Amino acid sequence: MCCNENFEERNKGEKIQTTLDLNDISGMKFFDPHVHMTSRTTDDYQAMADAGIVALIEPAFWLGQPRTGVDSFTDYYSSLIGWERFRSSQFGIKHYCTIGLNSREANNEKLAEQVMEILPQFIFKEGVVGIGEIGFDDQTAAEEKYYRLQLDLALEAGLPVQIHTPHRDKKKGTQRSMDIAIEQGLAPYMVIVDHNNEETVKEVLDRGFWAAFTIYPFTKMGNERMVEVVKQYGSERIMINSAADWGISDPLAIPKTAALMKRSGISLADIELVTYRNAITAFAQSGQINEDDFTTIKNIDQSQKFASNSILRGGQQPRVDKNSIIIS
Amino acid sequence: MPVIDINLYKLFQQIIKRNLSSDAWDWLEKKINLVKTEERSMQLNLSFSQLSRLTGRNIVELNSNEVIEINLSMSGLELNNWTIDRLCRVWLLMQVPAGDKENYLKKINGLFATAEMNEQVALYSALPIYCYPEEWIARCEEGIRSNIGIVLEAIMYHNPYPAKFLSTPSWNQLVLKAFFTEKEVDKIYGLYERINPALSETLMDYIQERLAAHRTVAPEIYQLTQQMNPQI
Repeated sequence: MCCNENFEERNKGEKIQTTLDLNDISGMKFFDPHVHMTSRTTDDYQAMADAGIVALIEPAFWLGQPRTGVDSFTDYYSSLIGWERFRSSQFGIKHYCTIGLNSREANNEKLAEQVMEILPQFIFKEGVVGIGEIGFDDQTAAEEKYYRLQLDLALEAGLPVQIHTPHRDKKKGTQRSMDIAIEQGLAPYMVIVDHNNEETVKEVLDRGFWAAFTIYPFTKMGNERMVEVVKQYGSERIMINSAADWGISDPLAIPKTAALMKRSGISLADIELVTYRNAITAFAQSGQINEDDFTTIKNIDQSQKFASNSILRGGQQPRVDKNSIIIS
Repeated sequence: MPVIDINLYKLFQQIIKRNLSSDAWDWLEKKINLVKTEERSMQLNLSFSQLSRLTGRNIVELNSNEVIEINLSMSGLELNNWTIDRLCRVWLLMQVPAGDKENYLKKINGLFATAEMNEQVALYSALPIYCYPEEWIARCEEGIRSNIGIVLEAIMYHNPYPAKFLSTPSWNQLVLKAFFTEKEVDKIYGLYERINPALSETLMDYIQERLAAHRTVAPEIYQLTQQMNPQI
């Protein structure tokens, strides 16, 4: 859940067009545990598959502006386990999601009450790997109320929790999020604290939580900073994600960062943990992740493509030549 | 019976009349008479949206007297760079009958629920002129959560409502959001008057975070934290 309004940083500097070289990480597999695919195009899916992303988690979030009725939430959650999952499968990428009421919209209490009533209908659906992304934005009383209620729900359901930490007042907001998770009885090992930075990571790891980092241009972490974090803190319980959404963000953040880590001398074992294995370990506590599915979904799609199956029958999307001015 | 500020009402009328073509002015006057007398919201909803087609979007021209008088009528309010549709919409909102509180709130909230961006700008610009001012606090707080730059600016820039009515935590959100989205914070009415220990502390954490990320820190952040902690 991001926003991207740092125009000054974004617009400064020369614009240079180059082609992306990911040869360094060719053949590696990646898992993006936080990416909002409903906001992305099929080109993004294709590029992600090409760069080695085999599976992803799409956390439920807000749509850039507040919803006004509960049916919008119902349709949104349904789309995460329906159409979006299908769209992803067409590119050979296994799609999971987390379900929850995001912090911003928790502030509309009347609506939040209604959303809390529909959540139980979704959390045990196939491929729902946690409650998320929940937590604080403005750190209001209403946000705290629905955060606690959803932690209770996660505890009862035995599901991991994906915590969105606030952009503003981040350090205190992160501490408070962890304090409350403990108060509600969650084991730190079931909780993925997202959007960390240099100021928050130490305490998150010391207290036994998972520390996720979002590689997002301008507003969150740059990947050079991420390399330094891994050099300093190692790879235990650390994972990275793109949090790509409707803002200027990068669905290839994980493969790019893996390439940068490799060039910076970080071991392949550490890169694998941070870009793939740790996220699986954390979210597989839901009992909903089977790694064999990553291969199956790829193979099924490829065979269907070879058999020239149509989209409607579940086949892989035909590849489009982006450099041709002919659209056929 | 709630009343609107009659000085401000007349000033806006004078400015609008001078900035509009006579056709557009006639249209607006006619619509306002309908809005003033209807029980339901049909004319309000129609004219509020349609208005910009008639008025256009030129920047409002003000003379120096008007600038002073606006500020005398409502401290903190400035119409710098307001477009004419924005001013006309705010003026229209001033004339929604407010005697029946429930109906009044329903009418205005109905506009918020379906507003496009420019309408949102007008609706949030009108926060200081609505009747029952305490009823708009939650709406203002929601506006601060917006990701749309011009909507944020309508709340933050030269708008006296937030400083007057927001609680300390909500005020602090507004200021933090302004820094995070690189707004021109000097346009925030009450910025230095409403500094408080909690905000200062958060800003000091923010300075650390920016420095750790090798990023620059806006000079106003230092000004605000130093105002709170002169010994630093």
